[in-house]
Amino acid sequence: MNPEYARHPIRVLADYALKGAVVLVFVFPFLWMISTSLQTFRETMAFPPTWLPASPQWQNFVHAMKAGPFLTYARNSVVVTASIIALQLVVMIPAAYAFAKYRFPGRNALFGLVLLAFMIPGQVTFIPVYLMLADWGLIRTLLPQILPFLSSAFGIFLLRQYFMQIAEEIVEAARLDNASEAKIIWRLMIPMSTPALATIALFSFVSHWNDYFWPLIMTDSNAVRPLTLGIAMLRETEGISNWHILMAGNVVLVVPILIVYLFCSQQIVKAFVYSGIK
Amino acid sequence: MPSRGWWPLLRPYVMIAPAMAGIGLFVLYPIFYLIKLSFYKYNLMNKAKSKYIGLDNYHQIFTRGDFYQALGNTALYTVGVVVCTMVLSLLAALWLKRKSRWNRIVQAGIFTPHIVSIVSIALLWMWLMEPNQGLLNYLFKLFGLPPSAWLQSSKTALLSVILVSVWQGIGYYTLIIVAALQSIPPTIYEAAALDNASRTNVFFRITLPLLSPQLFFILVIMTIGSFKVFDTVQVMTGGGPNGATSTIVYYIYQFRTTNIGYSAATGVVLMAIIGLLTFLYFRLLARKVHYQ
Amino acid sequence: MASIEFVRVTKSFEKSSVIDNLNLTIEDGKFTVLVGPSGCGKTTLLRMIAGIGPQSSGEVRIGGKDVSRVPPGKRGVAMVFQNYAIYPTMTVRDNIEFGLKNNRVPKAERTRLVETIGATVGLAGYLDRMPSTLSGGQRQRVALARAMVKEPSVFLMDEPLSNLDAKLRAQMRIELIELHKKLGATFVYVTHDQVEAMSMADTIVLMNEGVIQQEAPPEDVYRDPANLFAAQFIGVPPMNVGELGIDGVRFGFRPESADLAVLSGAERELAAAAAGDPIRPGAGAPKPAGADEARYAFRGRIATREMLGAETLYQVRRDGEPGASFMVKCFADRFAVDQEVELEVPADKLFFFDAAGDRIRRDHPAHDAYVAALCSREPAHA
Repeated sequence: MNPEYARHPIRVLADYALKGAVVLVFVFPFLWMISTSLQTFRETMAFPPTWLPASPQWQNFVHAMKAGPFLTYARNSVVVTASIIALQLVVMIPAAYAFAKYRFPGRNALFGLVLLAFMIPGQVTFIPVYLMLADWGLIRTLLPQILPFLSSAFGIFLLRQYFMQIAEEIVEAARLDNASEAKIIWRLMIPMSTPALATIALFSFVSHWNDYFWPLIMTDSNAVRPLTLGIAMLRETEGISNWHILMAGNVVLVVPILIVYLFCSQQIVKAFVYSGIK
Repeated sequence: MPSRGWWPLLRPYVMIAPAMAGIGLFVLYPIFYLIKLSFYKYNLMNKAKSKYIGLDNYHQIFTRGDFYQALGNTALYTVGVVVCTMVLSLLAALWLKRKSRWNRIVQAGIFTPHIVSIVSIALLWMWLMEPNQGLLNYLFKLFGLPPSAWLQSSKTALLSVILVSVWQGIGYYTLIIVAALQSIPPTIYEAAALDNASRTNVFFRITLPLLSPQLFFILVIMTIGSFKVFDTVQVMTGGGPNGATSTIVYYIYQFRTTNIGYSAATGVVLMAIIGLLTFLYFRLLARKVHYQ
Repeated sequence: MASIEFVRVTKSFEKSSVIDNLNLTIEDGKFTVLVGPSGCGKTTLLRMIAGIGPQSSGEVRIGGKDVSRVPPGKRGVAMVFQNYAIYPTMTVRDNIEFGLKNNRVPKAERTRLVETIGATVGLAGYLDRMPSTLSGGQRQRVALARAMVKEPSVFLMDEPLSNLDAKLRAQMRIELIELHKKLGATFVYVTHDQVEAMSMADTIVLMNEGVIQQEAPPEDVYRDPANLFAAQFIGVPPMNVGELGIDGVRFGFRPESADLAVLSGAERELAAAAAGDPIRPGAGAPKPAGADEARYAFRGRIATREMLGAETLYQVRRDGEPGASFMVKCFADRFAVDQEVELEVPADKLFFFDAAGDRIRRDHPAHDAYVAALCSREPAHA
């Protein structure tokens, strides 16, 4: 805000200390989770708490993973998330292009529906959607976790904004170069909007990989459950006091994302900020 | 070439068709279905036995204490989360807005919980809030404070859930406000400095108005998000103890198999509340928002 | 090659029509410049030829054939855009090649064409660079090469030089004239800059508010403007215009058509007296010896002086009289600010316009009467 005047060294030091403390508040719980996941039951029950395990109990992970069909859960998570991202991109790119670059009767009204869909949470519509999918006999497949996310209103909105920023003349030049509309999208629009597409894909990945509510509603057998549900179910299978096992399961769910975050936190942060500002 | 005639006219509709089909099928149609369901006593086993009962479900909602308890909890939760997150993330953003390596690290740090599944967050905090072996009560003891029952007492359970939500959400909103702060042209502040404006004056007359579009956006997003809170409650407390943390969505969830019509009617009520809140925000606040 | 015809063309946006019932023929192989202020409809016409902003009604013909239903890529036209519209994610080579690929030109032929054109526009060493690494002038050349490589019969250019600095613009003007000579294609060039129009055009089509004001070679537009708008749009500074005071007629003369002379002491007194009592008869300055032809004379003070190098611009003004101010362009730099001067314009350099702004030419019955009225005015009279 103000030009930086020379500040007192104590204030500078206090500032750094406070920043360190804040980071600790947000990061320490995760470290604590990892530490617990490697402790023995006795160590978790000790008071005062055990900061570091005497010897890392790797078998906690084996134990947790044997508590349910975790390979199936993991496969389901991967298949569901990847399918959602792929389908969303395929559906959203032509739609965003049409909304951004064509004028046609009803365009604003139809785009209004997209915005409306953006405002209506799945927590409101889950009952009818479930009944519908049950009618179609899909409950024992992965489709109920994929199909409802086929068109991402958020993604269409964001990508349309991005396409609109691409100069009209570029599209016109390509039309004069006798390029088909499909080619304009494939050779120009997509390469020119990679930042937006990456943001949308990343956003989609994080929200569906982490999703709990929707699979909870839409699944009734382990064959179709994702990791989030598997981990949550450890509470029932392992009992609420086996914290070392619960945390081991938790580590399996969280650590992959944390590792990705560690290496590209700046891109992820940018993507989320970008999506928030638009 | 007859095809040239109608294809360009039809093309935009073909291109948006899959997207609109998805929205129509999974968002718009379910709304009508939901409203229809809310007028029925629905039989999951035998649809033919479902019975039209008019407004009975709604009548029941507004006469049942547990609905009001859920509604009250949700409102308290929303106010708590929105106010705390708003104030804290605004303060954090002002503190961290300068572009420096340290600030980036702190921002990345406080953002971490946002990319982690709410299930993990919930489990993790259940462990931290464990009354006997949990870390939080240990720290309380260390500082000479009486231990808290956290999630296991109806007095503190909702507060504990709010704490977790604020902890998880603060990073995201801080980042958005930081980005907004950084996009304010520095020349405005330089001009204010030349005009000898005080710090509070600069904040209330320049920073806050210029920030208002983002703050408004955050307010709407956060309110809607808070009103549909479910995951934390479902994992951490199961609505308990004694319904102290039951929220509307959890309430709907509870009746989703036993009394579908009633559950649907509650869904309609939730939708109406969210719509009303959004509308009110736009009516009351939109005028005060400064758009550049 | 290809001439271009607009037949009763109308273009409307959201109910308001920008161009209404317009007819125009652009000759084959000519360099035609559409010029006018912004919003006059010149770019709209260009986009109709390209097919990227089709007319609402009427016909556009290229080479005699109605192209209304022909898509842009199949019209045999190429366009250079104001912002160049270079594909930012493709190399220079891919940019130039894109149209050829879409038209299924064989690879060997493509490569040969790209290399040749690249060399012609001076991009030989840059073919594999990304556009973002090029300067403004180089991007301009990419846009040009991309248009040239398709060997179109019609070249459309939408203010292609407006993003360049003054020096590069002058250079590119000459290059475009040479390019036109070499290719012999029909060039249609849109600009709001009358200097570009004058320097490059075979034919100028001057437009205002969707209506063609004049369609003529540059020298004709300059020497024989069709109306007040044409007279004031072409020429720097624009034509001086004053009220004649009869029938709402206005007269005008070019700043370079006027002669300036310093008033002697006696004349100055007369001028002052006349200014104090404008109705006093017979106060006119004696006409210079041998000036048997009619002249318009005006006395005033030099208000500003702009030295432009070869020439100097003076603003001659009589204070307190609105409209009594004229620009004069002299090749001699002999006068100073605040000098009292007399300005004279020979009758054959005077233009007259009627109340609607249309030109009153020499063959008009009232023309001579207007000349007489103006030239008999007192030099100190407003």
